Amino acid sequence: MQVIKVQKLFQKTLFGVFALFGFIGISTSILLIYTVDAYLAEEYETNSLGIAQSIADASVDILLNRDLAALQSLIDQFVEIQGISYVYITDEEGEFLAHTFVPGIPDEILGADHADISTVQRQLPGLGDFVEVSRPILAGVAGAVHVGMDTGIIALQVQRAIGRQVYLISIVFVLGVVGAIWLVNLAARPIGDTLTYAVALARGDEEQAAPVEGILVRKDEAGQLARLFLHFYRHRAPSTPSTDGTA
Amino acid sequence: MKTTGDMRKDSMRVRPALPTASADPIMPGRRSLISAAIAGGLTLPWLRSPAATPEEGVTDTEVILGVSAAFSGPSRGLGIELYRGASAYFDDVNYNGGIAGRRISLKIYDDGYQPDACVTNTMKLMLEDRVFALFGYVGTPTVTRVLPLLKKFQDESVFLFFPFTGAQPQREPPYGDFAFNLRASYLQETAGLVDNFVRIGRRRIAVFYQADAYGRSGWAGVRAALTRHGERIAGEATYSRGTQYTATMRRQVEILQAAEPDAVICIGAYAACAAFARDAVDLGLEVPIANLSFVGSENLLSLLTEGRDPADAERYTRLLVNSQVVPSYEDTSIPGVREYREFMQRYNPAVPAELVTETYTPFDHSFVSLEGFLDAKLMAEILRRLGDEPSRADLERAVLTLRDFDLGLSEPVSFAEDRRQGLQQVYYTVVDDGRFVTLGDWGERLS
Repeated sequence: MQVIKVQKLFQKTLFGVFALFGFIGISTSILLIYTVDAYLAEEYETNSLGIAQSIADASVDILLNRDLAALQSLIDQFVEIQGISYVYITDEEGEFLAHTFVPGIPDEILGADHADISTVQRQLPGLGDFVEVSRPILAGVAGAVHVGMDTGIIALQVQRAIGRQVYLISIVFVLGVVGAIWLVNLAARPIGDTLTYAVALARGDEEQAAPVEGILVRKDEAGQLARLFLHFYRHRAPSTPSTDGTA
Repeated sequence: MKTTGDMRKDSMRVRPALPTASADPIMPGRRSLISAAIAGGLTLPWLRSPAATPEEGVTDTEVILGVSAAFSGPSRGLGIELYRGASAYFDDVNYNGGIAGRRISLKIYDDGYQPDACVTNTMKLMLEDRVFALFGYVGTPTVTRVLPLLKKFQDESVFLFFPFTGAQPQREPPYGDFAFNLRASYLQETAGLVDNFVRIGRRRIAVFYQADAYGRSGWAGVRAALTRHGERIAGEATYSRGTQYTATMRRQVEILQAAEPDAVICIGAYAACAAFARDAVDLGLEVPIANLSFVGSENLLSLLTEGRDPADAERYTRLLVNSQVVPSYEDTSIPGVREYREFMQRYNPAVPAELVTETYTPFDHSFVSLEGFLDAKLMAEILRRLGDEPSRADLERAVLTLRDFDLGLSEPVSFAEDRRQGLQQVYYTVVDDGRFVTLGDWGERLS
């Protein structure tokens, strides 16, 4: 019973370990979500802008040749790149010259101002959320290229990163808990033995203390405490006789 | 990879001797034997033309043409039918001793109508197989991606002959010099459809098209033709390449219905276009639905009518209008058609077994196989004009000697520096009694 009470003292330590891991896990996950999300968003946007610029540069000759099949072939190749969900090219009057939408151009995009080449967030019903970047063709006099990047893929990448981190933290947590329990037990056992030894001496029963007498040879604080109890026991004052004659 | 020549040899083992001059299908004539002997080594090595080397796809016994086409996937009917038509003519050439003693062989790869596969196949054909020329490719998205390769290797004079596409990239700079076309273009087909629709008062024209270079090519043709009439495309809907007939096209039909069109022009392959026509009828979009020649008319018709009673089948097909780039194979008054029908019956070519990965039942006759037949007939004529020692370097010159050449159609074939397309005529067909027939009076049928 006394041993259990001693180990209960260490349960607070274990709880502290759990709390610490929890805090580390949650705080690093939040930091990771923010960092990865921001990094990937910036990365994808930069790449999309690069792609839009590439298409814009490559489109000039094709547009001047009025070869819309070749233009379509060009943008179809870019949609195969991960994260690029759609590409469309408008002329200087905003008319669609080529696009990759199936089954049709969404109303939100049909109604947009295609001369505006700033980066915009788009929510397309049934398709998802996108960041759309644009680049002018021939300084805008031949139209513009618009590239839509699926933000869902960023969320997916963040989920994957978080998943990997949670996996790693879980392994470290399990190892930490096992290690903590082992260490707690390592510390609790001599204290428990000292307590058992002290209780046996207090009862005046040196024989009962015999199984844990090994505690006396320990060189740590538990051994010193046991030897102190033994010293007190052996140099204790004679007990006051009781009124009924018993010692 | 089995070649046509191999196939022919295989098939001849079980086929009875044909009523021609030679009993041996690969036995060259006397003159050809002499030519072959000369080319084969009777002349001194340093006097032999460097052109007559295996590296150029020409050996003493054969000329090898490279083919990449769809033999699998939802558009396999196009590749198979085109191949069958071409093979019927090449088989006959080979049966009669070949050209200058050389059989015409086809090195064939399946690209499934996918651009990346087509590029890979073309690289193999050009760099590993070292074929003499590329022949009988199928599709715009595939051919469009291959054209830069031809430009890259332009010093080796590898030309693409008679691709099954009417798109502009292989007809115009910067790649027009590397391909020769026989069929009319999509611009001509779409212009003809638009002009006729407008003429009968159907001015609001919508477009249903494949979301790729092929669809865009047709879309651009419709747009240009409508612009000439002061109109714009009334509405548009797309589908993804490779869509099957089992897919629903309800959303596309709804998009076009909202545009209230007088007619719809489809630029697609047969599976998706049949699905669209089916759903259009089911959803009450009762306007003429036109398809381009690439669609594969018989395959389209087969999908729309199979398993239906005649009245039901008529409901799904009565408003179909298909443009064609070859005349009706039913019109036996045309010598070229008679020859085609005769050769198809005589040789009945089958696709090499290793290319058959999915079931397909070929048609006895089809617009696509007739086009393949005419392609092969013209290709053989070009090879003949190269003489006994064919060289890639002479190919273009040989093609440009074709002036008013009679393919057996009403329209003669001519090529010139600025004319890389042999035929210009477009034909229009509708479905009557379960088959495509020539459309006579647009107003009477579709007003």
